Amino acid sequence: MIKQIILAFLGSVFPVILFNIDRKKIIWAGFCGAFGWATYLVVYKYNHSPIMSSFAGAFIVGVYSEFMARRLKTPTIQFSIPGIFPLVPGITAYNTISYLVEKNYSAAFSKGMQTIAVGGAIAFGIMLSSTTYRFISKIIKPNKERMFIP
Amino acid sequence: MNAKQVLEIALSAGQMLISNGAEAYRVEETIERICNSYNLECECLVTAKGVFISIVDGDDGKVTSLKKIRTRRVDLYRIELINSFSRNIQNKHISYEEARKKLKDIEGAPYFTFPVRLLAASMTSFIYALFFNGTIYDALVSGVISMGIYYVLEKISRVGFFQFFEFFFSGFIIGSVSLIAENLLPFVNKGNVITGAIMILLPGVALTNGIKDIIYDDFMSGMVKFGEAMLVITAIGAGIGTALSLRIGVGL
Repeated sequence: MIKQIILAFLGSVFPVILFNIDRKKIIWAGFCGAFGWATYLVVYKYNHSPIMSSFAGAFIVGVYSEFMARRLKTPTIQFSIPGIFPLVPGITAYNTISYLVEKNYSAAFSKGMQTIAVGGAIAFGIMLSSTTYRFISKIIKPNKERMFIP
Repeated sequence: MNAKQVLEIALSAGQMLISNGAEAYRVEETIERICNSYNLECECLVTAKGVFISIVDGDDGKVTSLKKIRTRRVDLYRIELINSFSRNIQNKHISYEEARKKLKDIEGAPYFTFPVRLLAASMTSFIYALFFNGTIYDALVSGVISMGIYYVLEKISRVGFFQFFEFFFSGFIIGSVSLIAENLLPFVNKGNVITGAIMILLPGVALTNGIKDIIYDDFMSGMVKFGEAMLVITAIGAGIGTALSLRIGVGL
């Protein structure tokens, strides 16, 4: 488990270099991926559903990136994009293609549906946290003009 | 600054934001913020392919202008710099020349050098092959493949090639090289190699920004980005599928 979390940390650090992130923020992007994957593992332990676990992981990634974006005054996507990288259902997507090629259509359909469901869960998790965060911050300080676009 | 100069500054800021992969609501808010800080009313419409701005000028009605976006890539650092530029312009009014110079500086902001990015691409695939329960050999093969793919994509994208074919051939190369690797080195598992190698091709930014735009009611740019991401995913899948089914056909 520790090994997986370290790999998730590194797996969020290296892709952001391709997206040309600010050098000082690379490490925070790495923590975002590590937290998201740790949440995934914990939820997966109690509830053996990849969809639910991905949703929880993405939700934590969203909350973390909204928080850090306000602390460091940068756009949210700097943390949310690397954060969801470990959650991307790469292996089920590959299995879908490989079943399709073997003409095993029922298995391909079930894997494909799982891929789409996990992808949707990730998107929904991030969106839910960002809209909730925005809503709460509007209620708490309605008059203060926002100085930056999160 | 008069209205035309504000329009020009806002237009080039918006164009840089879109071409570096920002969401539509961020572009609209930045443009509105720049215009409002000079007490000008503005309307803007942002699509994935261009930006239209129209400013109410006191003397002679409205001034409207548009800019088309030709190249798109993802660059989070420039988005951040323009974000702080719009914040600065709101705090204190700067002159036209100063604003031009600042935008020019942002355009010339540093990239990571090509060898660093190449290494990062190969390390990404290395890590993800390990992450999906691969062995160290799978990871090494995957890293070498993605280094080659990234090098070729960087060179090809300058020539200008259809996006679908770019990703189709990348998927095809990934599939066929990992098949060859599995045949030559029996301890390598092609599934782990492929899942590691496709991680650098996945359009994560386009997909999340597309969904985000749709949720914020910007259907026009949201659907374009979502469709683009879907096209890329289909192209990669088709490429890998072609390689794998060729193997069954040839009977390796």
